[in-house]
Amino acid sequence: MPDSRAPLPHGFPDGFGEGPREADAVLVLRCLLGITPRDLFALIWRVGGASAACTAILQGSAGSDHDRAFLAGADPGAIRDRIGAAGARFAAPGDPEYWPAFLRLADPPVGIFVRGQPLADGHDRVALVGSRRPTPTGREVATHLARGLAAAGVVVVSGGAVGIDAAAHRGALDAGGSTVAVLGSGIDVDYPPSNGRLLRAVEQGGTIVGEYAPGVPAEPFRFPARNRLIAALSRGIVVVQGASRSGTRITAEHALELGLDVFAVPGSVTDPLAETPLDMIREGATMIRDADDLLLDLGIDPQRATDPDALPGLPAAQRSLLEALAAPMLPDAVARAAGVPVSDAISALVELELRGLVRGVGGRYERTFRAAPQRGSS
Amino acid sequence: MLPSVERDGRHGLWWPALVALPDVYGRVVGVTVLGVGGHAVTVEASVGRGLPSLTVTGLPGAAVQDARDRIRPAMEQAGLEWPLRRVVVNLAPGNLRKEGAGLDLPIAVSVLVATAQVPARSVPGFTFFGELSLKGEVLPTPGVISVAIAAARRGSSGVVVPAANAVEAAQVAGLRVVGVGTLQDVVGFLRGSWTAPDVQPVEPEQRPDAAADLAEVRGQEQARRALEVAAAGEHNLLMVGSPGAGKTMLARRLPTILPDMTHDEALEATQLHSVAGLLAGRGVLRQRPFRAPHHSVSTAGLLGGGSTVLRPGEASLAHRGVLFLDELTEFRRDAIEALRQPLEDGRIVVTRTSGSVEFPARFTLVAAANPCPCGFAGDIRKACRCREDQEARYRQKLSGPLLDRIDLRLTVPRLTKDELLGASGAEPSAVVRDRVVAARERQRHRYRRLGITCNAHLPGPLARRETRLSAGAEELLARAVDTMALTGRGFDRIVKVARTVADLEAMGDVAAGHVAEALSFRTAFEQDDGLARAG
Repeated sequence: MPDSRAPLPHGFPDGFGEGPREADAVLVLRCLLGITPRDLFALIWRVGGASAACTAILQGSAGSDHDRAFLAGADPGAIRDRIGAAGARFAAPGDPEYWPAFLRLADPPVGIFVRGQPLADGHDRVALVGSRRPTPTGREVATHLARGLAAAGVVVVSGGAVGIDAAAHRGALDAGGSTVAVLGSGIDVDYPPSNGRLLRAVEQGGTIVGEYAPGVPAEPFRFPARNRLIAALSRGIVVVQGASRSGTRITAEHALELGLDVFAVPGSVTDPLAETPLDMIREGATMIRDADDLLLDLGIDPQRATDPDALPGLPAAQRSLLEALAAPMLPDAVARAAGVPVSDAISALVELELRGLVRGVGGRYERTFRAAPQRGSS
Repeated sequence: MLPSVERDGRHGLWWPALVALPDVYGRVVGVTVLGVGGHAVTVEASVGRGLPSLTVTGLPGAAVQDARDRIRPAMEQAGLEWPLRRVVVNLAPGNLRKEGAGLDLPIAVSVLVATAQVPARSVPGFTFFGELSLKGEVLPTPGVISVAIAAARRGSSGVVVPAANAVEAAQVAGLRVVGVGTLQDVVGFLRGSWTAPDVQPVEPEQRPDAAADLAEVRGQEQARRALEVAAAGEHNLLMVGSPGAGKTMLARRLPTILPDMTHDEALEATQLHSVAGLLAGRGVLRQRPFRAPHHSVSTAGLLGGGSTVLRPGEASLAHRGVLFLDELTEFRRDAIEALRQPLEDGRIVVTRTSGSVEFPARFTLVAAANPCPCGFAGDIRKACRCREDQEARYRQKLSGPLLDRIDLRLTVPRLTKDELLGASGAEPSAVVRDRVVAARERQRHRYRRLGITCNAHLPGPLARRETRLSAGAEELLARAVDTMALTGRGFDRIVKVARTVADLEAMGDVAAGHVAEALSFRTAFEQDDGLARAG
């Protein structure tokens, strides 16, 4: 048996997927859940094509028992019907919707499922990734960055999950931009179910892609594989918030392997959710503070991306209170810092809250991203 | 079972014979306590021909049936004579179910009167109540204050009650209270050979033990303020915060800033505790009660009930005081739902096959809950480890009809050492209480024609009509409706709380600052909802 760890060429062997029999074989291969994408890719190079790979798996030289059982009874026609019923399409290497970007990977998918709009080519694509459980600030930053990217005509790529992913998709769509959601579950499976509405919106204004056939349930072990597709699709990647040893970290490592531009939004050194961004900065990622920074570093004119909501003209009392508000603070601490009675401070904080400049978190108040210190530039 | 007399057909012969023999007939007044109210019961005894037996008629409950076997040994142990004839005791009115062992004493006395062991003329004017032991002692019996109230209402000049409960009865003005320890005492008193000692007045209790005072709460300015607003407007309060934030400590201090109970309020509260047998020798409750049932409490335990004797539940024991539900999400769903009735009406109606009784239950509800299943969402030192769906389910649990009746919702942060040390000195409870009393007086005056006493009880539409808002307050409220996605009920709550804040400052109109403070009393949940809807 040849060494499966020998370096493999990029792309698929000549003739892969050509002809109806090969096309069916590719589709069936992509529906296998046992064999890993890397093993499958290696197998295809070893045996030279999709049909041969199917035969090899049926003979037991690769794949799992589950794969053999599936292959033995697989009906490509039924699978195509199922894909159609789910409102999805299947694209194999060589198809217009199989983006060449995937071939950059050491383990490219043998095919992908697509829903929504065809991917508009000729656009820059930037991935926004981060924790599924961000802080309100993290969510705001992601939305703000996505808006900025969308306004500058950049397509936002993210994982279709909750937290930073959802904020990124929503921000891009709100700004009238386009977005790509890369799913880690079956192409027609909303995960978590509460994300259904957002994914419908993505389908309308962007594209949903994924490696898994309709009906494949969401399982935590499938998300890392999804993350390599996010990286492959993007020119650059922005890490907003992520704990160490998280999926965010995995995506960032794929991005480094592929040689993408990596950006990170810093956080406090004591914040567990700042661990991945700070690590990435240490390893050479570019630190960004807002959309202007990001667009500048991407070489895009940031003029088009200015946030229309600059700090409004604030009454003096509210302005001084906002200036006194540093980290999350108790209302009485803010009052002491600003030198006003507690009741006045509470009134002013509520006014600021209504303006969207501060928010209450766990009984304390903190600035929102909109109230971040204003920089003189741009 | 009904007596055999009625089955063997001799019943018709009996009754005329009795009328003809006044010396074997006795009549005294007793009381049965149903729910919280005492009901006067006329106890008649007739002693006539037949095998020695005691029959009780007139809807006696299980405890009263037991009396049949208790009374004879009690009388004999006390050196009195039990007639070796057929004794029939009737309890009137016959349509009222009689409960409780407190009828032991009047039944015994009726027999003593019938057998002329005490003079019949000594009994009128007195109401008898108490449980007997087999040795002839008169045991402490729950509900004596209800007995005394019923006796006074009926026009009795005095009550004969267990000595241990005499203090309770003495709380009712204009009644002569005879506290008796044994059946011999009763006989001695009725024969004129024994006088009951004067009831020792119990020192009125001091303010809740000095250990609890608002002055000891360091930091937590907003929570202290929320307690003051809750006390001033009788608003219910929800505190959301991580374990160790001090929610229980805060809740325990709410009674210390509530106005003293009026005499009537104190009697109502005392009555409920007396009926539940929780008075333990205290005369009358002076402190507002603070009840903190564990979250494993049954619905009956929380609202009142029981299979034979209907007892008041924790909600009624908190009448005129504070009901504290720690770990609100852990309580049984049905128990929580059932709290709606007392929160709306200030009373609980418990219905059983034996009938229904009503317990008053007007309390301030203070509930506490963690912000999420792990307890640390929003905490600045410890990360929350809950999954999104767990958190969503938890919020589901917290919401619901009970929450609609809670005007003040507060997030209580766990303070850091620096925040604790940086806190300024706090006002003692007495100072805050004075402001609360003044604010309540202002509300009572304003609502005197509406039949309510405080802002919290103001129905929503009335709250909007009765509350004069300054232009600035109107404008702020309008913006809050847009930005915070306030619902109609949420809007009414803000108006009521703002009204209380203005009352605390003795202001006629509600100003923008008052509305702003009312808006600051919202939990993380509502803020998240607002964010989600805005986003």
